[in-house]
Amino acid sequence: MSKQLKTLYIIWYREVLIYLRNSVKFFTSIFLPIIILIFFGTGLKTMFPISILNYDFVQFFFPGILGLSISIMAVSSTISIVWDREFGFLKEILVSPISRSTIILGKILGATTTALIQGALILLIIPYLGLDFSKFLFIKAMLIIFLISYGMASLGIFLVSRLKKIENFSIISQLIFAPMAFLSGAFFPLSNAPEWMARIAFYNPLNYGIDALRWVILADSLPKEEILLITSHSLSLSIFILLGFNIIITFLSTRVFNKSVY
Amino acid sequence: MSSLKAKEEQIENNQNNISEVIQVENLKKRYKHVKALNGVSFTVKKGEVFGLLGPNGAGKTTAINILCTLSQPSSGVTYVNGYHIVHQSSAVRNSIGLVFQETILDNHLTAEENLYLHAMLYGITRKEYLERRRELLKLCELWDRRKARVETFSGGMKRRLELVRSLIHWPQILFLDEPTIGLDPQTRRKIWDYIFNLRKKKNITIFLTTQYLSEAENCDRIAILDQGEIVALDTPENLKKTIGEDIIFLRTENNQIAEKEIQTKFPNHSIKWIGKELRVKVENGDKFLPVLVKAISPRIVSMELRRPTLEDVFLEITGRKIRDGNKEAEEESGPFSLYSLFSFFKNNE
Repeated sequence: MSKQLKTLYIIWYREVLIYLRNSVKFFTSIFLPIIILIFFGTGLKTMFPISILNYDFVQFFFPGILGLSISIMAVSSTISIVWDREFGFLKEILVSPISRSTIILGKILGATTTALIQGALILLIIPYLGLDFSKFLFIKAMLIIFLISYGMASLGIFLVSRLKKIENFSIISQLIFAPMAFLSGAFFPLSNAPEWMARIAFYNPLNYGIDALRWVILADSLPKEEILLITSHSLSLSIFILLGFNIIITFLSTRVFNKSVY
Repeated sequence: MSSLKAKEEQIENNQNNISEVIQVENLKKRYKHVKALNGVSFTVKKGEVFGLLGPNGAGKTTAINILCTLSQPSSGVTYVNGYHIVHQSSAVRNSIGLVFQETILDNHLTAEENLYLHAMLYGITRKEYLERRRELLKLCELWDRRKARVETFSGGMKRRLELVRSLIHWPQILFLDEPTIGLDPQTRRKIWDYIFNLRKKKNITIFLTTQYLSEAENCDRIAILDQGEIVALDTPENLKKTIGEDIIFLRTENNQIAEKEIQTKFPNHSIKWIGKELRVKVENGDKFLPVLVKAISPRIVSMELRRPTLEDVFLEITGRKIRDGNKEAEEESGPFSLYSLFSFFKNNE
């Protein structure tokens, strides 16, 4: 068992090391969400004067952008498996005597960690956005970020682990991740969306993730009734769905990877 | 539970006693349209340098991939180090080291990090790792560069590092798939020096594939693979003996007449056309040469006497030069035809 943990650790370590060492990737992963929040957020805010909304637009926008950023981070970290295949390094790992489940778990946890680092740094700008911030809120938000990014990383592995070429990833990101992002409730509340849209969003795990983030981050800043207006699911349901999704997708991604060739 | 333990012990005992570390019996591998391996059988003895030779696409890499448990055979029984390659694949992986055809180091990491990653994957303790690292890196002259990132390495250095890496877990068998491909002759010789040094020191078995026939001469035994089948298997010396002691290449102004004259005067020697030259196999080439010159009437353009090389063996057995490779399969439509514009959808295969 300790041997398995050791190999799990080394696979995880490599993923995180590559992320931290690649300073360009590290910088852009923090920079882009902040840019979106400042420019896009401020711009959109002008369309909704305070008199219409009972809450600050940033309060609505921030949890969504945070959720999307960490999801993108988690998924794009899993592309390393395609890089590894294209440049052959995957072979080196596959011919070693460690089990494939360990490889997968190490990769998922590595991608999750990169998303956690990014999430933590973005959370630190909360006080500057005029939202209430506390240590307790930070920890709770990090737990939700873990649940979301773990699920998205597993989903990434599930979709990516059979790809032979990096270019093919754009197909997956357009067909699957773009619709997931638009129907996650990050850009507009799904509570007012037409029924057919709400019905599709009902099957979108990211929707539950963003809702959970809103409940946790806005808990101190907004009254409960207001949060109800901009979410479609309760906090407990969201966490429950995220947990269930994570378990199922871990199982599926392990299965797919076991069948994939080097 | 106890019977399982007994079985494990039995296997353990087998490990120490086996003299044939690789046993391959009627191995077949079929891809969708191609038979990559078509019933291959051979054994490799402990401590041997065994070479697998063949043109591009003969199935060498397929064979190595199967022996290393990277791909599964369609049929056939194969044991590596006494373990079944399908049912005991992780035991097989533990006892082998690999250097692939392409360089597969992690460029983001330093030389040392690449080694440590590998050592951890094979469950080696830190103490053992530190000892071996020093010994192996010094042997391959990489000790000074151990803290440099791999992306700054030259091709030869990368190869050497791969060699070190494949040995850090003390494998019983070392697989080398074209270890010197794409390297300059000087580096190539060095790599071979390291390989033979290692073999002397560690008494490991080495299984390699190569296209360079001159390098294959270093092997203890050679199997020639052609179109998925083994067409010859012996020591390089014995293989060369099948050709005869010496070969004379002869070119005259009229080869037809020369051929007839040789056939009538020396019926014991076999003659074959190779391109524009005549090839004559003889027992004692240097003594036969003057006799031959007197015996033929057409003027001689060129004449060459040499000992047979493995290239000659390959030529004899497969009927063509090793460099020619397999004939490319005819494409359904020519290049730049309108039809082939649509075929890019199929490129994912």
